[in-house]
Amino acid sequence: MLWYKSWREIRVVALGGVAAMAVACVMIVWFEQAMRSNQEIPLSYVAYLWKSVYNSIGRDMFLFLCVILGGGGLLQEKAKGTAGFTLSLPVSRGQIVFWRAVMGFVGVVAIALTPAIVLPLVSPYLKEAYPLSQALGFSLLWMGCGTVFYAFTFLLAHVLEGEYTAILVTIPSMMLYGVLNSLPWFEHFPMLNIFHLVNGEDMPFFDEGAHLLSGPLPWLPMLMLLMIACALVFASSRRMRLRDF
Amino acid sequence: MLERVIQTDGLTKHYGEFHAVNALNCRVRAERITGFLGRNGAGKSSTIKMLLGMIRPTSGSGTVLGYRIDDPKQSIEIRRRIAYVGEDKGLYGYMTVGQLIWFTRSFYSDWQPDVEKRLLAEYRLPLGRKVKALSKGMRTKLALLLALSRKPALLILDEPTEGLDPVSIEELLQTLVMAPMQGTTVFFSSHQLSEVERVADDILMIDRGVAVLDMPLEQIRENYRRVSFGFDHPVPTLPQLDGMERVRIEGRQVSVLASRNAEAIAAMAHQVGAATVDVASISLREIFLETVQDQNKRDQEAHWEQTHALV
Repeated sequence: MLWYKSWREIRVVALGGVAAMAVACVMIVWFEQAMRSNQEIPLSYVAYLWKSVYNSIGRDMFLFLCVILGGGGLLQEKAKGTAGFTLSLPVSRGQIVFWRAVMGFVGVVAIALTPAIVLPLVSPYLKEAYPLSQALGFSLLWMGCGTVFYAFTFLLAHVLEGEYTAILVTIPSMMLYGVLNSLPWFEHFPMLNIFHLVNGEDMPFFDEGAHLLSGPLPWLPMLMLLMIACALVFASSRRMRLRDF
Repeated sequence: MLERVIQTDGLTKHYGEFHAVNALNCRVRAERITGFLGRNGAGKSSTIKMLLGMIRPTSGSGTVLGYRIDDPKQSIEIRRRIAYVGEDKGLYGYMTVGQLIWFTRSFYSDWQPDVEKRLLAEYRLPLGRKVKALSKGMRTKLALLLALSRKPALLILDEPTEGLDPVSIEELLQTLVMAPMQGTTVFFSSHQLSEVERVADDILMIDRGVAVLDMPLEQIRENYRRVSFGFDHPVPTLPQLDGMERVRIEGRQVSVLASRNAEAIAAMAHQVGAATVDVASISLREIFLETVQDQNKRDQEAHWEQTHALV
C-alpha cells in the first residue's frame, strides 16, 4: 500500500501537470493561425507545434513539473512532521523510497504522454494533422530526459533538509547545466546535451527542415539516462538507510 | 512468552557533542504497564526512536520482543508486532480519516475491525474529513485509534494524552489498564505523573539519558519515604546511610528522600539529637522532582554561564 501513499503525495502535481499540459497543448493548437501569421518566416503546422510545444512552453513546463515531482520523500515528510508515522510502518526504508520513486516516475510518464494524446486528437478539429508516431516519439524523448532531472531532484530531496530546498537547488543547477552545454568541449558530445536530446534539436535523428523525427530514436543514450536515473534513486535509498529521524 | 519485551544494554545515542542517551540499561517486563518518565530532553523520545529503528544507536545494544533494534530486517519485525503513537502525532494531512485507517490497516494482520468501529464511535471521528482539517485533539484520537485497533504485543505511546480532553484521557487510561489482560505490554511516556501513578505497574525514569529509577510502582510505594527531622540546635554532620537518596538542609530542618531503610534513617535522626522526626509516604511526583531537580538546576546554571560567555 505504499504505492497508494506515494500516489496521494504526487497526485495533485501529476494530475495538475497533465491538466496544465493538456490545456497548454489545446491553446497552442487553437490559436495556431493567429500565432503562425505573426511569424516572419511562414511555418508549417508541424513546425509550429514543434517550436511551441517541444521547443518552448511544453518542454519547459514538462521539465519544471519533473523537478517538482522529484521534490518529495522522507526528508520532506520530516519537515511536515509525518516521517515518524511512515517510519513506524513495518516496511523497509528502501521500500518507502522505491515506491515514492516509482509513483513519481509514473507522474513523469503521464505528463510526457499528454501531448501525444492531445495533439493528434485536437488537430483534426482545425483541419490539420499531427502524426501520432511523431508525438509518441517526442513523448519517449521527454520521458528519457525528464527522468534524469526528476531523479536528480529526487536525490537532492533525500540529501537536503527542507520542504522545497531540493527544488530550489535543482532549478539553478539546470540553468548552470544549460550554460555548461554551450562550452566548446560539449560540442564534441552532442548527446550529453539533454536540452537538445529532449526535442531533437541538432540531433541526427531529427529533420530540421520538416521538424520531424526522421531516424531511429537514440535508444542507447536514452538507456544510459535511465540507468543514471536508477543510480540516483539507488543513491537516495542508500542515503535514507543511514539517516537518523 | 518473553519475560522482558524491551531490554537495552549500554544503549547510547550521541548527536555530535550532545549525549541524548547515555549507556542506558533497562528492562521492560511483559504484560505490564511501564511509565517512562523524564524531563524534556532527558532522552525519552530518542530511546523510543532507537527501539523503533528510526535512529541508530551510537553504541550499545537492545532488543524488542527478542528482535535486535540495530538490525534493519529485525527492526521491521519489531514494527510489525508493536503499535506506536509518536510524540507529534504527525499523520498524512492529505488523506481523509477513512483513507488513513484503510491505508494503515493494510500493513497489519492483527487489525480488529470491531475495535476500530467502537473507537470510531467513541472518538466521534468523521470518516470523510481530511486529517489536516482535524483539531489537535482529534488527530491524537485518530493516532490512538490506529494503534489501539490492533492487538499488538507491545504498545509504545509517547505523550499519548497530550491534547486530549479529560473524558478522552479517562477512556484512554481505562483502555491501557485493560491492555495487559489481553496480552499487550504498554510502554508509555508522559509528563502527567498523576496519570502514570494511576495506571503504571513499573516506572522507568531517565535523566540525561541515564536510568535513575527502574522499579515496580508497588515497590516504590513500599520503600520510598520522606524522613523529615528538626533540631533545636544547628544541624550536626549526618552519617550517610544506605537508602539516603537526597538530603536537603534548610536552617534546622532536614529532609531526606529515602529509597529504602526509612526506619534506620529515622533512628539515626534520633541518635544525632533530632527533636522531631517524621516519616511520610511520598508521591511519584515528589520522587520525580527530587530526582531531577538538582540536575535541572545544574543544567540551567551551565546554560546561563554558556549563554553569557557567548555574549
